[in-house]
Amino acid sequence: MSKASSYGRKNLVISILFTALVFFLSIKLDPYNQGQLSVALMFFIGILSIVLLTGASGQISLGQGALMAVGGFAAALGILNLGLSIWFAIALAVFAALLAGLLLGIAAARLSGPYLAGTTLVIALAIPSLATRFESVFGGDVGLTIDFGNPPAWLTSLMGEVGYEQWQLLATLPFATLALFFTSNILNSRTGRSWRALRDNEVAASLAGMKISETKIFVFVISSGFAGLAGVLYGLRGIVGPSVYPISLSLLLLTGAVLGGIRSILGALIGALLVVFLPDLIEWASGSFSPSEQIANYLPAMISSILLILTVVLNPGGIAHGLHHKKSHH
Amino acid sequence: MLEIKDLVTEYGSVKALNGISLVAHEGKITTVIGANGAGKSTLLRTISALEHPRSGSITWKNKSIVGLSPEKIVRLGIAHVPEGHAVISQLSVEENIEMGALFRMRSNKADVRLAIQEIYQLFPRLEERKKQLAGSLSGGERQMLAISRALVSRPSLLLLDEPSLGLAPLVVEQIIQTVNDLCRNTGLTVLLVEQNANTALGVADHGILLSLGTVAADLPAAQMKADVALRAAYLGY
Amino acid sequence: MDIFLSAIFAGTSRGAIYALAALGLVLVWRGAGVVNFAQMGQAMFSTYIASTLIAQNYSYWVAFVVALVSGGLLGALVDLLVMRPLNRKRSSSALDSPAMRSTIPVIASLGILGVLQAAAGMIWAAEERGFPTPVNSLGLVINGKIMPFTAFDLFVIGIVFVTLVATTYFFKGTGMGLAMRASALNPEVARLSGIRIGFVRTLSWVISGVASSLAGLLVTPSANLSPYTLDLILIIGFTAAVVGGLDSLLGSVIGGFALGLLVSFVNVYDAPEDIFLAILIVLLTVLIIRPQGILGSKEVRRV
Ligand SMILES: Nc1ncnc2c1ncn2[C@@H]1O[C@H](COP(=O)(O)OP(=O)(O)O)[C@@H](O)[C@H]1O
Ligand SMILES: [Mg+2]
Repeated sequence: MSKASSYGRKNLVISILFTALVFFLSIKLDPYNQGQLSVALMFFIGILSIVLLTGASGQISLGQGALMAVGGFAAALGILNLGLSIWFAIALAVFAALLAGLLLGIAAARLSGPYLAGTTLVIALAIPSLATRFESVFGGDVGLTIDFGNPPAWLTSLMGEVGYEQWQLLATLPFATLALFFTSNILNSRTGRSWRALRDNEVAASLAGMKISETKIFVFVISSGFAGLAGVLYGLRGIVGPSVYPISLSLLLLTGAVLGGIRSILGALIGALLVVFLPDLIEWASGSFSPSEQIANYLPAMISSILLILTVVLNPGGIAHGLHHKKSHH
Repeated sequence: MLEIKDLVTEYGSVKALNGISLVAHEGKITTVIGANGAGKSTLLRTISALEHPRSGSITWKNKSIVGLSPEKIVRLGIAHVPEGHAVISQLSVEENIEMGALFRMRSNKADVRLAIQEIYQLFPRLEERKKQLAGSLSGGERQMLAISRALVSRPSLLLLDEPSLGLAPLVVEQIIQTVNDLCRNTGLTVLLVEQNANTALGVADHGILLSLGTVAADLPAAQMKADVALRAAYLGY
Repeated sequence: MDIFLSAIFAGTSRGAIYALAALGLVLVWRGAGVVNFAQMGQAMFSTYIASTLIAQNYSYWVAFVVALVSGGLLGALVDLLVMRPLNRKRSSSALDSPAMRSTIPVIASLGILGVLQAAAGMIWAAEERGFPTPVNSLGLVINGKIMPFTAFDLFVIGIVFVTLVATTYFFKGTGMGLAMRASALNPEVARLSGIRIGFVRTLSWVISGVASSLAGLLVTPSANLSPYTLDLILIIGFTAAVVGGLDSLLGSVIGGFALGLLVSFVNVYDAPEDIFLAILIVLLTVLIIRPQGILGSKEVRRV
């Protein structure tokens, strides 16, 4: 049995276990937490886009939220103007984000470090502002309304009554699994290794015959596809609009990616769960102190920012780095 | 006198120096030769505190200097010219030289001026190009600039790491001669790292041969130069 | 014609603010080799301190000086608490690779921004406050028309000019300035030359902290104060710095005024919603055509 196929088999097993676990939770959790978990899965996909881009290939982006917006708007336009079903709309969203990623990648391949960070930050601001600019198409500040719709008949006949949040979670799950499976395969493939070679030594990679720009653009495209997928799912919760994809969303995803471990798929999952459930966790933990509302409002942001700094300074590999030394992609 | 005993320096799990002991006498040129990867640069980097030794001692003028910062060590009169023509190419020639004297600019401005004058006498080419960016210099000029940057601090010990690297033989000859003159005329102590063993042993008083992080031979330079078997074994010629 | 003139005036006074923000970025970049995305967070924080003092009836100038000092202190804290440990750790870190080396301080600075904004929110709440100006802010009158240009704007431009001259002299004409450039360009050679790079770096954070808090104090009268208002200035300031050349003080000031005019013209002749698109287009154009910026030197750009 070749090494590659053993990896493939292991990934398959992990993906099935992951699906089963989330499915189990979808039955056990209350609607609020079903909703939260579904958001965590969307963020998981979004953070995987950062794991691919920053963790594997060393390019930073503060603009993943803008690519999410591209996905969300493409889907919304497809649903509202062409009457697409959400499944086709999701495909359209990914395609649109891939295209946007191609454009972005062409510009970004020439940049690195702070230049890339700053430029993608400007992109994160500029793209959502387009929605306000072309109000008649994109719905202005309010945005466009779309949702996951009702659970299909076969599902309700199989599972009994399925609430909206539960449906949202179940509809998100296959995409999260797909993203998980795809990412672990690509990171363990030759392609993934070449990205890491690029990250660790660009000159050596170029001397070894790698086409640097093409590779960077390719990573951008793939990563953008993930961001677009996360974006459309995130928008399908109800609204696609500038307020859904603010610049703080990009920063939240980056925070999750770093906290969990920017080079690890497990880290992406941990990071997504962390940023989504942190506010709940803090509320629960600070219950006995009962801080004033003013303090409580800013507590999650404060704690996640402090964690971000501590992680970068003390444990740059993130939580996952401590958990699975051998498996992480160094 | 610089005295090193049982010095061990590691990079992670690689032992670059594995128990080095040597002495560099005042006013003399001691040359450290050895093949690529023998640990020569690591030796100099450990003396100037760019790397921290795992164990062993370094004493300079009878005081231990292990644990001091590089900034502090310069102030004790030890100047290090690292490998690879280490100048800052985005700064002008003048600024590169001045940089080496910043730490004593306030306490001794007049002497700094004088030191810079002396350097320009030593290397007139640098004075002609003093407004140019260091990046625009030729390889030889850059090496002269790197040495000047060190000399302007008025060191009593000069650590020179492969000044001949990548330079034409004539330029090498000139640079080595300048160092030799400095040593003979001003009493400067020199620890000269070279791969170019012949040139180095030609001017040095004493030779130290490093191999895989240990001292393989410690002989008067003339004797080492004459020892054909030694050279064949460790340097391959 | 009047519209054109007024766009020019409005752009110039905006530009002065962007120039200060850009100068602050360039100062840390040249002194410590970091692009500090927390900069306007630091500025916001020290402006809040000034605003609190003014609310307690201290004079504007007392508040002004206290804000500058606290801006400098914040800069020092950022360096001592975050950047210095980061530098020490990085060489042995799991994430050490050339591509990540310049990225990690960026992430850390975003964390600092988050902390400062959350802290400001906790201490001063989120509602916006106004902020006074030290000199009158009545519009200049040309041909009987009131122009969007006031004595205060002139004051701001004066401060930009003084800051530019002072920092340029500092970098080019003083030993400490040379030490600072050397430390950022090549820390190893700088240390071997006897430069205390730790101290020098901290100093550059202090200077940039002061310059940024100056920008914060001067922009707030026209923007109102909240934990997040100055984010936009940061982004425009970054673009200004890149357009001018990230390592050039004069360039960043030129970039600042250029962007001020750009924003003003987009505002007047097009629509405010287009500002970020316009900025993005300018940024990408510069990065593609002249990556080192108008006055930047090619070699310094670490791309
Ligand atoms: N920064 C470093 N990290 C890891 N290993 C190093 C580093 N620098 C040098 N080495 C290793 O230490 C040994 C000695 O290197 P060096 O002192 O540079 O030798 P020389 O100067 O004699 O060529 C070599 O095996 C080299 O690979
Ligand atoms: Mg060497």
